[in-house]
Amino acid sequence: MIFYLTYILSGALLFGFIAAFTLFAVYAERKVAGFVQDRLGPMETGKFGTLQTLADILKLIQKEFITPGLADARLFTVAPVVIFMAVFMGFAAMPWAPGLVPSNLNLGLFFVLSVISVEAIGILMAGWGSNNKFSLLGAMRAVAQIISYEIPAGMALISAIMIAQSLNLQEIAVNQGILSKESLRFLGIWEVADTGGFLSWNIFQAPHLLLAYAIYFVASLAECNRAPFDIPEAESELVGGYHTEYGGLRFAFMMLSEYALMFLTAMIGVVLFLGAWNSPLPTIGSFKLAEWTTGTIWGMCWILLKTLSIVGVQIWIRWTLPRLRADQLMSFCWKVLTPLAFLSMAISGIWRVFVMN
Amino acid sequence: MTAELLIFYVLAASALVSALLVVSMKNLARALFLLFVTLFSVAGLFIFCLADFIALTQIMVYVGGVLVLMLFAFMLSNKELLNDLQKGLTGFFALPRWQALIITAGMGFILIHMAINMGSNLPKWVTEAAREGKIFTPTDHTEKHIGLQLMTRYLLPFELISLVLLMALMGAAHLTRKEPKP
Repeated sequence: MIFYLTYILSGALLFGFIAAFTLFAVYAERKVAGFVQDRLGPMETGKFGTLQTLADILKLIQKEFITPGLADARLFTVAPVVIFMAVFMGFAAMPWAPGLVPSNLNLGLFFVLSVISVEAIGILMAGWGSNNKFSLLGAMRAVAQIISYEIPAGMALISAIMIAQSLNLQEIAVNQGILSKESLRFLGIWEVADTGGFLSWNIFQAPHLLLAYAIYFVASLAECNRAPFDIPEAESELVGGYHTEYGGLRFAFMMLSEYALMFLTAMIGVVLFLGAWNSPLPTIGSFKLAEWTTGTIWGMCWILLKTLSIVGVQIWIRWTLPRLRADQLMSFCWKVLTPLAFLSMAISGIWRVFVMN
Repeated sequence: MTAELLIFYVLAASALVSALLVVSMKNLARALFLLFVTLFSVAGLFIFCLADFIALTQIMVYVGGVLVLMLFAFMLSNKELLNDLQKGLTGFFALPRWQALIITAGMGFILIHMAINMGSNLPKWVTEAAREGKIFTPTDHTEKHIGLQLMTRYLLPFELISLVLLMALMGAAHLTRKEPKP
């Protein structure tokens, strides 16, 4: 019985973390937007507006559930739950620290990618269920974009998998630091399995993975429907995209899944390319910095720090770059990112066979 | 009753009930969304067969790809066409009811025949493999076996399938091409 209780407890903990992260991220987003646009952002509620998002969520929770009269009521109600569950299930396989992972799956990465792809169904459900042309158009644009960008993202991840030789996310994490039992070589030349630090991260073990990471990062922005790829919810053209008709707690769940997906995609990138929970500090002579800064607490700190800084970059990009047009978006995906991702996959194969052996 | 058995029965029941609803429902959009429940429960049943790779592929390809395409096709087709569809299928590819009855009766006969023949005994090759220790446990790396088998024993079928897929891809690209101006 204890066995099942741990499962429920870890699920509840993860949900609490996602909710807290969303509150923090929405506040950060508004503040960053303020600084980028040379204004202050929220300032009224609490010191420097720190209680603003808390007040927002209180307002959203109190709101009445409104279903449009001609909407398909069941689909309309189920859609936010499906979207959130798809993202939330992805967190099950993510490693947080050495030996600390909710579910140590052999097919971890494949599991995460396939449950994220369920999100598209939820979005279509929301768009169709609302019985509103703006919702439907927004949902179709969102899904077309998500499906297209899954291909370069998947190819970029496969090129990292070919270097790591495992789909288990915890194993991939271990093989990028001092806890690894295999030989790790910086740029394929210098043995760094005992030195650790940033030298043994995947992007430095095989430098072409920097390209793969760039492709993955751009594609992950598109998969989260964030600017410069936020056509699905372009306020100026489509009112609000697939969640036009949503309000109250249902809308809160949509926002929750958007920010949870941002965190999840950033975390997948960190685990596969940027050394997961491994410390960025290498051992220098008798200063065993890598050993001192590896452990359960340290691991959680490092992965949080890395992931949050990637989320920070996502927010920064949103408020800096203009939105792409729909045809530019598709030709960028199919004519630039996809061939580049295939190229990096080919280099991965060559690198694995000729350099890493 | 163990928790595993309970989960198995819940998944099996949801697969059956949703599949029955998919074929009997008049509302096409809802039927398509219910197909998602069916595919998801069947993926869960695959995990009980220790075919975790197949289960995840099912979710990724069928739910994330095929079902989304079906929904797109449904949403992009005009109302008249859909009304015709809902009235019932007629034409070359349509399957009249008596043919469907023969197919289902045949499948049902095979299943019941197997169940009666086998009873509660496992077939001989299963017990032999279990005695020799040639079995998978839930923690084994199934994906490594699949990769090795695909690259050695099943290389020819694998390559043939890739050729078929390439042909489909080229055909799709050709169909979407703009006609050159005369």
